[in-house]
Amino acid sequence: MHPDLILAAGVSSPAIADAVASAIRLTTPLLLTALGAVFTERGGVVNIGLEGMMIFGAFWSAWGAYTYGPLAGLAIGAVAGAIMALVHAIVSVTFRVDQIVSGVAINTLAYGLVRVASQALFHSATTSPSVPSLPRIDVPVLDQIPALQPLMANLSPLIVFAFVLVPVSWWVLNRTVFGLRLRSVGENPLAADTLGINVVLMRYSGVLISGLLAGLAGGYLAVEQTSMYVEGMTAGRGFVALAAMIFGNWTPVGAMFASLLFGLADSLSIRVTIPHVPYQFVNSLPYILTIVVLAGAVGHARAPAADGVPYERSGE
Amino acid sequence: MAETPLLTLTGITKRFPGVVANRDINLAIQRGEIHAIVGENGAGKSTLMRIIAGLYQPDEGQIILDGRRIQMRGPRDAARLGIGMVHQHFMLIPRFTVAENIVLGEEHARGGIFSPREAEARIRELAAQYQFELDPTELVENLSVGAQQRVELLKVLYRGASIIILDEPTAVLVPHEVEELFANLQSLRQAGKTIIFISHKLDEVLEIADRITVLRAGRVIGTVPASQATKEQLAEMMVGRPVLFHLEKPPVKLGGPPIGVLEVRDLTVLGAHRREAVSGVSFVVRQCEILGVAGVEGNGQTELVEGIMGLRPVARGKVILLGRDITGRPPSTIRNSGVAFIPEDRQRQGLVLPMSVWENAMLGYHRATEYRRGVFYDLGRIKDRVRSLIRTYDVRTPDINGRVETLSGGNQQKLILAKEMSSSPTAIVASQPTRGLDVGATEFVWQRLLAARAEGLAILLVSADLEEVLALSDRVIVMYRGQIVTEFVPGTLPATTIGEYMLGIRRDTPAPVGGEKA
Amino acid sequence: MKRRWVSLGLSLLGPVSALLISAILGAFVMLAIGKNPLQVYAVMISYNLGQLDSIGSIFYRATPLIFSGLAVAIGFKAGLFNIGVEGQYYLGAFFASWAGVYIKGLPAYIHLPLVILFGIAGGVIWAWLPIYLKVKRGAHEVITTIMMNSIASAVMLYFIHDVFMDQNQGTLGAPRVRMPPIQPTARMPTMLGFLHAIGIDMPNYVAINWFLVLAILAAVAVYYLLWRTPFGYELRAVGQNPQAAEAAGINTKNIQYQAFLLSGAIAGLVGLSDVLTYFGYLDIDFPKGYGFSGIAVALLANNNPFGIILSSLLFGFLERGGLGIQALAGVPREVTTILEGVVILTVVTVTAIIGRRVRAYERHMAALATAAEPPIDTQAPGRGQ
Repeated sequence: MHPDLILAAGVSSPAIADAVASAIRLTTPLLLTALGAVFTERGGVVNIGLEGMMIFGAFWSAWGAYTYGPLAGLAIGAVAGAIMALVHAIVSVTFRVDQIVSGVAINTLAYGLVRVASQALFHSATTSPSVPSLPRIDVPVLDQIPALQPLMANLSPLIVFAFVLVPVSWWVLNRTVFGLRLRSVGENPLAADTLGINVVLMRYSGVLISGLLAGLAGGYLAVEQTSMYVEGMTAGRGFVALAAMIFGNWTPVGAMFASLLFGLADSLSIRVTIPHVPYQFVNSLPYILTIVVLAGAVGHARAPAADGVPYERSGE
Repeated sequence: MAETPLLTLTGITKRFPGVVANRDINLAIQRGEIHAIVGENGAGKSTLMRIIAGLYQPDEGQIILDGRRIQMRGPRDAARLGIGMVHQHFMLIPRFTVAENIVLGEEHARGGIFSPREAEARIRELAAQYQFELDPTELVENLSVGAQQRVELLKVLYRGASIIILDEPTAVLVPHEVEELFANLQSLRQAGKTIIFISHKLDEVLEIADRITVLRAGRVIGTVPASQATKEQLAEMMVGRPVLFHLEKPPVKLGGPPIGVLEVRDLTVLGAHRREAVSGVSFVVRQCEILGVAGVEGNGQTELVEGIMGLRPVARGKVILLGRDITGRPPSTIRNSGVAFIPEDRQRQGLVLPMSVWENAMLGYHRATEYRRGVFYDLGRIKDRVRSLIRTYDVRTPDINGRVETLSGGNQQKLILAKEMSSSPTAIVASQPTRGLDVGATEFVWQRLLAARAEGLAILLVSADLEEVLALSDRVIVMYRGQIVTEFVPGTLPATTIGEYMLGIRRDTPAPVGGEKA
Repeated sequence: MKRRWVSLGLSLLGPVSALLISAILGAFVMLAIGKNPLQVYAVMISYNLGQLDSIGSIFYRATPLIFSGLAVAIGFKAGLFNIGVEGQYYLGAFFASWAGVYIKGLPAYIHLPLVILFGIAGGVIWAWLPIYLKVKRGAHEVITTIMMNSIASAVMLYFIHDVFMDQNQGTLGAPRVRMPPIQPTARMPTMLGFLHAIGIDMPNYVAINWFLVLAILAAVAVYYLLWRTPFGYELRAVGQNPQAAEAAGINTKNIQYQAFLLSGAIAGLVGLSDVLTYFGYLDIDFPKGYGFSGIAVALLANNNPFGIILSSLLFGFLERGGLGIQALAGVPREVTTILEGVVILTVVTVTAIIGRRVRAYERHMAALATAAEPPIDTQAPGRGQ
């Protein structure tokens, strides 16, 4: 972000830590979803339905938190995302339908299902009652440093979880048998198959992980960030996360930095007013950035070789 | 040879929709032998090998290993029984290291944790045991074809294979690498391994195998000891009739001195990652001439062809057709000025598989005004024309409205020839024109190319099949790392010398300044 | 000829069985919210087909969907997924409204076509950036068009609320966020007069209008363009095998560029039926979602222009039925959105399964027909892919 923009926006320096804290809060759902996207795409399945899975996760986690408390709510949200992911896996892995088409249908389906369910459960198609959040936590030691205080104190545990998940994801992908096999089916499923690796199972795993994490990200938005479900609260973040994953070159660490970039844009778009620029355009900053990033990511990024290609076993 | 065989197949039959690939196959493989399976393309060799490797299940018949009847439900079962296969198209993951490629699926990891260092150590040890030269930490995408094949061999050895199947292992190798491979195979046999070797190259089979089984049209024609077999006898078994090993290539009489038709001058073309794939190549193809381009695949042949056809930007140099500069013109202009094109991968570049036969028959010439009445296509006229075209070129299809993907490979290639040659070109650029075709279709393609030569066309023939290049060409150039390293007339150089040129061991032209980067 | 009937039957098998499966899955949703699905479907059918105004309404609702389906289908045929029809028609509606409000003094026979051209221009302009970035930079059009949709919403809010808001809305209640009324010379007339003249007594509140005829003409034009012209040939070749198209001398990037802009042009027409007929002004709450429905419409029709007319009528039926079941059976009308998603999933899945069977059958037939040759297994599955 260009410093002039912040200056022009008249943000004073003590507020910067606050802005960064807000950026990190807004990064969290993107990061969770983008990490999920890394798993599904490294396994060779493009998941454009992440947005729908976030929507589904957001609604069901709100319902779960309302009914059973925040922790159960988040778990229910994650499972709800995974259920949508299961549909995607059945259609695109088992039946080998175009993965993009399947993902788009998932988005439509999730939107419709949530509206009907919301009407049935909350008697409102678009909002839930307010729901409880997880207790906030402080990061020990670091929260005592005044400059870092806004970043390290009074955090949602999910924020910490999301950032801890980055090295964990790296480790799973690169230092476990599961990760090696998952990556192999994303690069060359035929080769993996001849070595006895269950391509379908691995691809299902990748897709389901992405659904779990996207559902959890939706849960974060509803339970942790807003304390209620509101229709449209995902606001295209599923797609933005996908772009972040691509910009991050299909790696967890890259996805984290890209998510931070988008999170910052998101937070600026909410907090900053720029003279002579209509607020609607400032609000569109994350979307504009996504387009810019995708246009610029080419040449630097390299997708898994079999990403998006359905695997059809020969002789069947 | 009174021993009981290690592996016995009895009455194996395998059907695919519309095709019986294997019919009542009986075969016995002895312990510790190198057993070659020969047959032309489509004879059912690969299907049979996939059955032995557990990739296909036979519809009928039995497989008996060491006296026990076995049933395999996948390659993993085969591996457990000590059967491993090296596929013709390598099953490798370019972005994985050598070690990762080898241990994948059999990681021997504790608690699901994968340690690259441990895997590398294990593979280093394994490679040393068989004297294979390989760095386990190297990415496979950086390896030569010969080294990649060694990775494939180590993959099956790592899985404890005692029976190793090699599917057309020499198809991708140059003569020098073939010798290395054969040395490797001999040492594997000494270590007690049994090797099944699939090929259609009879010279190689006679050199390496102990016994040879011939397949034709899905059946076993016979098994003979290599020491008693002759090339002519095997060829007759393969094809079912005596085969001529020398193509009729009559000299063409010209009225005057030959005219240069297609000229390439100091052509430089960039390949992947903006590296020079073709560097300063110059040649002339004259009328009534076939100029062959030999070389190991990946030495710039593809980029050369694409550069000529306008499919890839030319960095430097010129392409000239009958004195007209066509460098960097759009592909449509180049085609319309008289260059017919037979692309190397007919399914990917030559045809639009889901479209109909008649639509494919006009691909590339679909803007011709004779196909239209006003702005719209005249379907009646187009289909009439296509019908006569496929009759002339003997394309067998039940219905020209059917999808072209339902045609056999040979008929697909005939369709491409039909449309390209009927456009009255002055030059033909043919890339791997007989790849994957059976003998009948190959012969057809060769005859057509020779007929075109007799009619006065200039033909550039690029092929990885050295035999094909030598059989058809009037002159041959050899490409190595994007450059022409020699030019010769077939019959004037021994195969080993040609192989040395193909591998860059020998060159007539000076190496470029600044050295070469791999 | 028999083959043709067989293949027609097979091509209908996919959509029909997909619809049946969707109806069954929809029934489960209704059961889940405690409604009797048979009753709901019965209400939907009787409500839709029992009244003339419902039938008129179905045609009115189908009109934007035909345009949208055609726009999506052209993209698909060229191997492009235009999810951006949604945003493109927002802009088309805005451009047309602007021309309808602020260009004055023209007779209707010039003003209305001009306004329609403005709509087309809006769609083309919004389609330009994604395809430019796709062709020049390789940015995937799916994500860029989705982002363009979000930006389109912001742009619409800015234009309608901040720049062109109607300041003379009278004093009754809070002012709506909308543009001034479109001049009569730019409004598309309804078909009511025509219908009455041919003896169909369509009630006057039904907004069925001449855009319906325009949409059907557009479908015919798209059919001829795709299957009877060199441009259409190239477009389909590029969509199915860009590499072969390139080798055949087709400028694939150019074709994709043109195809996508054409898709955007048709998308620009999607919103006009509502804005120029029913509303007469552009409101911030004008009907949304046609772009996404167009995806389902196109997929159900397998991108066939005539099939798109039929599947648009079906979705018009579902939407109108949604109103019916909400009013008469107490079922939320979003059930029809669910059905939309389910239809996409089932139709692509069923077509994929049937397609594989059909191809295996065709290969079988081709192998039999060429049995004069020695059996060749080069086409058998698993050989040299």
